[in-house]
Amino acid sequence: MDYSRQTILPQWGEAAQQKLRDSKILVVGAGGLGSALLPYLAAAGVGKLGIIDGDLIEASNLPRQVIYSESQIGSLKAEVASAYLQSRYSELSLVSYTSFLNETNACEIIQNFDLLIDATDDIPTRYLIDEACLAAGIPWVYGSIHQFEGQVSVFNFNNGPSYRDLFPTQSRSAISCSEAGVLGPTVGLIGMLQANEALKIIAGFGTSLSGKLLIYNLLTNSQDIFEIEKKKESPSIEKSFRTELISIADAIQSQAILLDVRSFGELPEVSHKRYVQIPLAELADRWQNLDLERELVIFCQSGARSAQAAELLNGLGFRRIKVIKGGAKELAEKLIYEIEQDTSRTQENDYNHNEIPSDQ
Amino acid sequence: MPKVKYFGILAETVNQAEEEISFDSENLEVLVAQLKEKHSLEAHDFQIAVNRKIISDLSAFKVKDSDEIAFLPAFAGG
Repeated sequence: MDYSRQTILPQWGEAAQQKLRDSKILVVGAGGLGSALLPYLAAAGVGKLGIIDGDLIEASNLPRQVIYSESQIGSLKAEVASAYLQSRYSELSLVSYTSFLNETNACEIIQNFDLLIDATDDIPTRYLIDEACLAAGIPWVYGSIHQFEGQVSVFNFNNGPSYRDLFPTQSRSAISCSEAGVLGPTVGLIGMLQANEALKIIAGFGTSLSGKLLIYNLLTNSQDIFEIEKKKESPSIEKSFRTELISIADAIQSQAILLDVRSFGELPEVSHKRYVQIPLAELADRWQNLDLERELVIFCQSGARSAQAAELLNGLGFRRIKVIKGGAKELAEKLIYEIEQDTSRTQENDYNHNEIPSDQ
Repeated sequence: MPKVKYFGILAETVNQAEEEISFDSENLEVLVAQLKEKHSLEAHDFQIAVNRKIISDLSAFKVKDSDEIAFLPAFAGG
């Protein structure tokens, strides 16, 4: 590979190129942000890239997740992204993980890398990344989207602030792209900014966004940079309950109760024989209706209420809890798709929304 | 009058990206509580920045006429 257009940059040179060749970057999430930044990191000459994502490619991903194609719908993103990059950059070392990052695998995976890029679409995973990167002593590049706005920052770099310094309490109302909506150029631009931060950190030039939060608004092209204060006390690495995510496909295949914590009447309707609805506001009073021993998979519209429900149930002694990655809309679509694929399934379905289904 | 800027889901909830406010208390904590109530932001979590610096102790901060206050929620998407 000829990197001469990079190495003639006075700030870059052969030394930075070698640092990049020696670098090992883990990209968490191969969705909108991931598929924007991965090709640029690979092309620039990163030595080793890890890609972790348990999601499958869906038709609704294609308008912005440009490394995937129609024929790959239903395939694992981490595997397809990895194959895409390997076919173009033979010297690149790649490792793909086809599960979601969770409390069980985070430390073991992250210790193999020296920089992490957050390309996830949920907030609980960001707290997990923050704590795991603090424990491993590596920096991470944050990026996230709300409609036409994007946030970018660098955490845990040169003793700088962490995500928890910026957001000490977990947001109850933030919504993902699947609910809020997003255009391709927004994730593309924010992904590029993240890739650029990663290159600057590895090469050691320029001014990183460590200690700063950049908010870019693509509707107005305004950029605001806010200073983040590092808290005097070490950010809490106290053992708090963490939501474990499960893909929609795995949730459907499991024997778990599908617990809907949305309010009654919220659309879309979800129908399944293992479906139960207890709105979040009623959960504290009605949790006794749930079987403590049975696996529970919780969902709502975007994941925010699911995370709260999971925390509440964990506090009540439930240990077999997972939260669906995505929301009711994707789950309903997937169920309808499955029913279309296997018409016999509809005959087994029991659409009773009020009784707790038994294991049998 | 201080200017207040809202980001992300807060701009959507407030239905505007910025506004100028008149204030009867110079205490930032009181002012933020008033705006929270005015715009029904109780269900949201966010940080407050003044003049692009995030403020952790709101009660100790005195707001001036020329200040720019920002409401900063965490974004989730990606």
